[in-house]
Amino acid sequence: MTATVPGAGPSVSLERVSKWFGDIVAVSEVSFALGPGVTALLGPNGAGKSTVLRIMCGLTPASQGHVAILGENPRTQVSAARQIGLVPQQEGLFERHTALAFVRLAAVLHRLEDPEGAARRALAIVELDADASQPVGTFSKGMRQRVKVAQALVHDPHVLVLDEPLNGLDPRQRLHLIELFGRLGAEGRCVIVSSHVLDEVERFGSRILVIAHGRLAAEGDFRAIRNLMDDRPRQFRLRTDKPHDLGAHLFGWGLASRVGVDPDGSLLVETTNAPRLRISLAPLARDCGATITEVEPLDEDLESVFRYLVGRG
Amino acid sequence: MSAFPPSPFVALYRTILGAVATRSRIAALGALGAGASLVGLAIGLSDPFRPDRAGVLYVNGVGLSVLVPVVALVFAAATFGDLSEDATLVYLWLRPLPRWHLALAAYGAALTVTLPLTVVPLCLGVALTGAGLAVVAGTAAAVTAGVVAYAALFCALGLRFQRALAWGLAYILIWEGFVAQAGRGASRLAIRAYTRSILTEASGIRLRLANVSILTGMVVPAVVALVAIAYTSYRLRRHDVP
Repeated sequence: MTATVPGAGPSVSLERVSKWFGDIVAVSEVSFALGPGVTALLGPNGAGKSTVLRIMCGLTPASQGHVAILGENPRTQVSAARQIGLVPQQEGLFERHTALAFVRLAAVLHRLEDPEGAARRALAIVELDADASQPVGTFSKGMRQRVKVAQALVHDPHVLVLDEPLNGLDPRQRLHLIELFGRLGAEGRCVIVSSHVLDEVERFGSRILVIAHGRLAAEGDFRAIRNLMDDRPRQFRLRTDKPHDLGAHLFGWGLASRVGVDPDGSLLVETTNAPRLRISLAPLARDCGATITEVEPLDEDLESVFRYLVGRG
Repeated sequence: MSAFPPSPFVALYRTILGAVATRSRIAALGALGAGASLVGLAIGLSDPFRPDRAGVLYVNGVGLSVLVPVVALVFAAATFGDLSEDATLVYLWLRPLPRWHLALAAYGAALTVTLPLTVVPLCLGVALTGAGLAVVAGTAAAVTAGVVAYAALFCALGLRFQRALAWGLAYILIWEGFVAQAGRGASRLAIRAYTRSILTEASGIRLRLANVSILTGMVVPAVVALVAIAYTSYRLRRHDVP
């Protein structure tokens, strides 16, 4: 597959988009613009991720705000669908179709010149047998997910929207699709992947959008977002031969807001000034005659970022 | 690779037809049709005094009032109802095709399965009553006109309402079966008035509230179908696709 980059503007743009159902606000004032590459949409179940993706694809109207896919309104301009490949979260497929028939249907509806060939290529990408005769109704959850990915890829769209695409896949298939999404992004496509599985998101790429309570809680590079949060308490586990002495020194010097010693003898430190702690740790250990063998950050993973942002949002 | 790529419209039509024409539905509604034919046979075996009149009353009471609207409701409401319920509509909606293609394909699928399941058993049933060829021909025309209108109406209903079967039954029983029977004015707002008129005109046997010409009886259901398809296309543009 080859990437096409129609136009120079953002591939996807949402401008002050809100969506409400009666009194319930599902999405509130969300704005972002995405270009080529993989972007992960992160948030807990019910945060509004799927609603944002559905608005993005035109499946549901925004109550307020503007959405554009390569400059076109996906809700009112059916031609925008040429540029969108969607993997919906729902399980439903045409149960009596074979995988080939299902993907070929998508190719036909996109008016591809060789729907059969395009369907076979898309199925090969997701490692499914195009000649298998069993209907998709008999497929495992993982196979169904891959069929959905194949139908989204069949027309070689510029914007690929994937709502929890790795659900039900085994580790090897997950790795394969993560690599595939990365490759599609590197080829110039705009790939948007939603997930509530945090370690997955970390592997998709460094750019994330965090949706919490229907609002865009954070946007940008994962590590940059972390740097914005340096004022929050962060935790470290120190392995040392003198945990009590070192803990007392850290607390006494104001480098730790809380200290504790684990049953295994490691020192747990919570600090609101991680950079200063990192600089001062070695001299302090030397002063109190302690030997530090390991410093392990306990909350550098995405889950802690996510919890913090959700709580803040 | 074939010389001519498959038509998207035909693909839509086949997909929707495959989704709605399930074995269980066809078996259940085929049995209903067979039951209707058996009623015709029973009437015929009872040696009616005026077979043509008995046949017309049979078609009016069993076919135009029950079988035609119910079979059309089940299949037509299922076109968009099933696709919405199992969330497969997105695979047809998010494609670069005019919305009216989808509306027309769903309508075509509903017609394809409803017509044989109504026209065949009712024509057979009325023939078994001993009615003449004119009544059989009138039955075929009236049933076809009814299916043409009801299928389009119920496709729209299936898209518009989650419980389309319940709404459709309420329409058939309360509006068509009760309110529209009140008088000539109200009856003009029911499909049944037009199908009854076709049957009356073709057979020469008068039915109550069957008082429009055969041309009007044919044209109005067609217009109803066109308006309903246009409305379905409009709704598809505004639809919240699950």
